[in-house]
Amino acid sequence: MIEILSDSALTTVQDLGRTGALNWGVGISGAMDPLALAAGNLLLGNDAGDAAVEVQVFPFQVRFDDDCAFALTGADCAATLDDQKLLPWWSGKAAAGQILRLGLPTGSTWRGSRAYLCLAGGVDVPVVLGSRSTQMRGAFGGHEGRALRKGDRLRAGAPGAGLGMTGFGVVPPALAMPSDRDSLPAIRVLPAAEHARYTPASRTEFWTAAWKITPQSDRYGYRLAGPTLEPMAPIELRSHGIVPGVIQVPPGGQPIVQMRDAQPSGGYPKIGTVIEADLWRLGQAPIGSRFRFVECTWNEALAAREQTDQWLAELQRLARLHRLRQGAH
Amino acid sequence: MLHIDVDQIAAWLAATDISELELRGPTSSVRLRKDSAGVVTIGDARPPAGPAGMTVTAPTVGIFLHRHPLHDTPLAPTGARVIAGQPLGLLQIGILLLPVPAPAPGIVAGMWAPHGAIVGFGTGLVELHPVAEQA
Repeated sequence: MIEILSDSALTTVQDLGRTGALNWGVGISGAMDPLALAAGNLLLGNDAGDAAVEVQVFPFQVRFDDDCAFALTGADCAATLDDQKLLPWWSGKAAAGQILRLGLPTGSTWRGSRAYLCLAGGVDVPVVLGSRSTQMRGAFGGHEGRALRKGDRLRAGAPGAGLGMTGFGVVPPALAMPSDRDSLPAIRVLPAAEHARYTPASRTEFWTAAWKITPQSDRYGYRLAGPTLEPMAPIELRSHGIVPGVIQVPPGGQPIVQMRDAQPSGGYPKIGTVIEADLWRLGQAPIGSRFRFVECTWNEALAAREQTDQWLAELQRLARLHRLRQGAH
Repeated sequence: MLHIDVDQIAAWLAATDISELELRGPTSSVRLRKDSAGVVTIGDARPPAGPAGMTVTAPTVGIFLHRHPLHDTPLAPTGARVIAGQPLGLLQIGILLLPVPAPAPGIVAGMWAPHGAIVGFGTGLVELHPVAEQA
């Protein structure tokens, strides 16, 4: 068991998402940085898709009620376990009664905005429609269908497992798989259905501007600030299915990127779609930061997904070998 | 003593693209290093330790890091007092990062291997001056 000691309205239990329920109008939810969630789980020998606690408001504290192996990935929050400093993207073991503290995200090389606390055996909450992710709009999944509150207690699936197989980490994917364009983070995008209906100047600006993530950005969507995108003629559409990553342009011309808690349908025109392999980069980009959209092809999008899959497979292989070695000693 | 023909091994080494070879026996060890001109020199496997020094060696092959890849400051700068088990540096193996823990409480006297150096099993990494654990 862990007990949440912080009041932080936006901390939720997430896994890799509730795919396969869009046809019932149920959004995907899931970790904003699925790579960090999977990496934390793999460090512990969990399944990559086990549930974890996604922290996006800092500082944050939990107390362990039992001895438990854990991993901390995502934003580097200068975490401590009692008075012991913890490294980022690292596994550790807590003794019953110890308090884990996450400070404000830091970093000059890379700064994330969401941290993931993974527990041995995964965070044990009921599976709803095939996932443990919190579905905020429907108020189900995760822990009682809501964000975590002070005093909430979460169970680890296998608290006593792998206690002697912690104390190592992984090079964060932002360093292992960097993506930059003209000194800003680059987010790869496939042109979407209405892309060609924007003026040539707007299309050029879409691909060259430094887009700023405004404070009106959350797990539902990121509202961006930059040049105004103008269609050649007004575009009116019936509502249609959308997925996380879709970049809509409302009448004001400032795009919105749909994120994990996006509703499954919408009627704004779509200028592009952030590729699945880069959603984690956006999920970690802090409010106020800038980035660029970089055009990519279908094949490049598939190759990028292959690259992240390979990164996870390599982590799983090396972590398993290392845990075996530790277990043998 | 190691009962080996060092000259013969040096000759073999000169004919390969291996730059460093270390042999270790129960009581002694030897390291052969080949420079860019192909000349093999014979030296101690372990860097010489200070009077009360303790050389922390690499537990495995990897890239030795003084600091975490996300951090600007070293884990254990020279002069730092460390407790047993505290990471003095990291070994990167592929994308995995393993700690190089202090075997005993002490003061970091210096680094034998530079940040980013590729090191082998047993390579001296950190010089530690053990001190009694504080009460």
